[in-house]
Amino acid sequence: MKKQRNIWIVSLLLLLVVLVAMVLCTGVGVVHFDRDSLLHSPIFWDLRLPRIILSVLVGAVLSVCGGVYQSVFRNPLTDPYVLGISSGASLGAAIAILLGWESYLWGVGGMALCTALLTILLIFKISSLGNRMHTTTLLLTGVCLTFLITAVISLLMALRQDKMESIIFWTMGSFASASWFDVWILIPVAVVGIFVVLYYRKDLNLLLAGSETAQSLGVEVEKVRRRLLFFTTLMVAFAVSTCGVIGFVGLVVPHCVRLVCGSDNRRIIPYSIFVGALFLLLCDTMARTLIPPNELPVGSITSLIGAPMFIYLLYKSKRKI
Amino acid sequence: MIEVRNLTYSYGKKEILHNISFTVAKGAFVAIMGSNGCGKTTLLRCISRLLTPQSGQVLIGDTPASDYSVRQLAQQIAMVQQHPHTDIEFSAFETVLMGRNPYQRHLQNESQKDWDIVEQCMRQTNTWHLRLSLPSQMSGGELQRVMIARALAQQTPILLLDEPTSNLDIAHQFEIMELLRDINQHEHKTILIVVHDLNLALRYCPDALLLHNHGLLFQGHTDEALNSERIATVFGVKASIQDGYIRFK
Repeated sequence: MKKQRNIWIVSLLLLLVVLVAMVLCTGVGVVHFDRDSLLHSPIFWDLRLPRIILSVLVGAVLSVCGGVYQSVFRNPLTDPYVLGISSGASLGAAIAILLGWESYLWGVGGMALCTALLTILLIFKISSLGNRMHTTTLLLTGVCLTFLITAVISLLMALRQDKMESIIFWTMGSFASASWFDVWILIPVAVVGIFVVLYYRKDLNLLLAGSETAQSLGVEVEKVRRRLLFFTTLMVAFAVSTCGVIGFVGLVVPHCVRLVCGSDNRRIIPYSIFVGALFLLLCDTMARTLIPPNELPVGSITSLIGAPMFIYLLYKSKRKI
Repeated sequence: MIEVRNLTYSYGKKEILHNISFTVAKGAFVAIMGSNGCGKTTLLRCISRLLTPQSGQVLIGDTPASDYSVRQLAQQIAMVQQHPHTDIEFSAFETVLMGRNPYQRHLQNESQKDWDIVEQCMRQTNTWHLRLSLPSQMSGGELQRVMIARALAQQTPILLLDEPTSNLDIAHQFEIMELLRDINQHEHKTILIVVHDLNLALRYCPDALLLHNHGLLFQGHTDEALNSERIATVFGVKASIQDGYIRFK
């Protein structure tokens, strides 16, 4: 019981850190303001603030999803990007743009959701042999699907060169065009999705112990797994539909949390929300301030941190694969 | 307590269990024996509903197992698997605490009662001193005892074990079997256990189910079940029984 109270205290502290970081990051940028003019500037209200809120939301969402995938697939190397689900979502987004659905509220997100769900279904079909999911097959499936989807997107771009720029945006990942519209779309999805994941956080631990063990301990494995995968994919799809594909966040964050506080998902999931938010906020702030007046793609910064980590994890689990 | 009626299970076209029926009384300690691949594990998994049989029925108490929800069934049957996953980083205490899951609601935390039960089960299986150890730090025998502690924490009237003594040396085999006998005698749990070592079964389990050719060959007392004729039929080995001990020739 004491443990549970600690989770609340640490979560609140982390939330506080995220809020402070958000406030500090609003002051950083290519255009400098003093405090008074900042609050009256449209740059602050219409560009920086939505961008910062969006990066925080996307960071939280991707990290939580990474944590869930790692437990559901019983594999520390998975995250939405590695599994190809983010790419799957970007294909849907690209199709929606080509069809001219950008102005509809759920147009791009909805289409991204459809293709992302299709991707995860394919991953399941291809990589599950009997009851077990083989690490190698799972990762290779993700990589191959990413290749395939990238190819399809390139084809779409070649066909419709006038839309090329906005499609490239989805495959690279950036918060440069973040708007309040994106924030308002993502907030309800993130709130519902994260609540569902938190609701099942205890079951995640049991799933980690193996699906048969989970069932004999009273978890309705198939139902729980389906729900978790649906809601996480929903979150990934909408995150991707607002900012494109940003890799490795879901891999780095839950893993760092796990290093500090152990395997218990009742801690990993809530902490990942805040650590993920902080991580992506800092990455994006770096992306927009490191080489002014130009911008780095935030995806390349997360990959610079994430890819070596992925290799390290792969190296560490070499014996098991 | 457990009634199996005309149970048939096949993996694809391959029939593993054919038309098996038997009843296990409350408080029985039953060894399930048979040659490799004769369906012992499949039988346990059908009873615990990890597998759904193509035809036939399993009754727990007087209710068909299929009528229980997964959670209710986990309050009736606890299962110790043959190969527990050892690659996850949960301490022994956290592992045993998972056994309380069938009694907890989703957003509910463990109560003091849960903690007490876990401590009691770990003391009973002599694993309390290991409570902070990770699976990778424990020996095979210790890990098996932790798994049994988790099954006990489920507080079920029925305990199913799939070869809990495989991979253990003889001293640890005795230790596990004595622990189970204790649980059976003092807590009157109904125990079904898959055993390979016939002498171990003869020594500890009063009752036996002998499977052969995908069917049930014999059900009854273990010393009656294991005569030289049946051992020859089931395992194709010549053996004689002397002073409650099986000698293989």
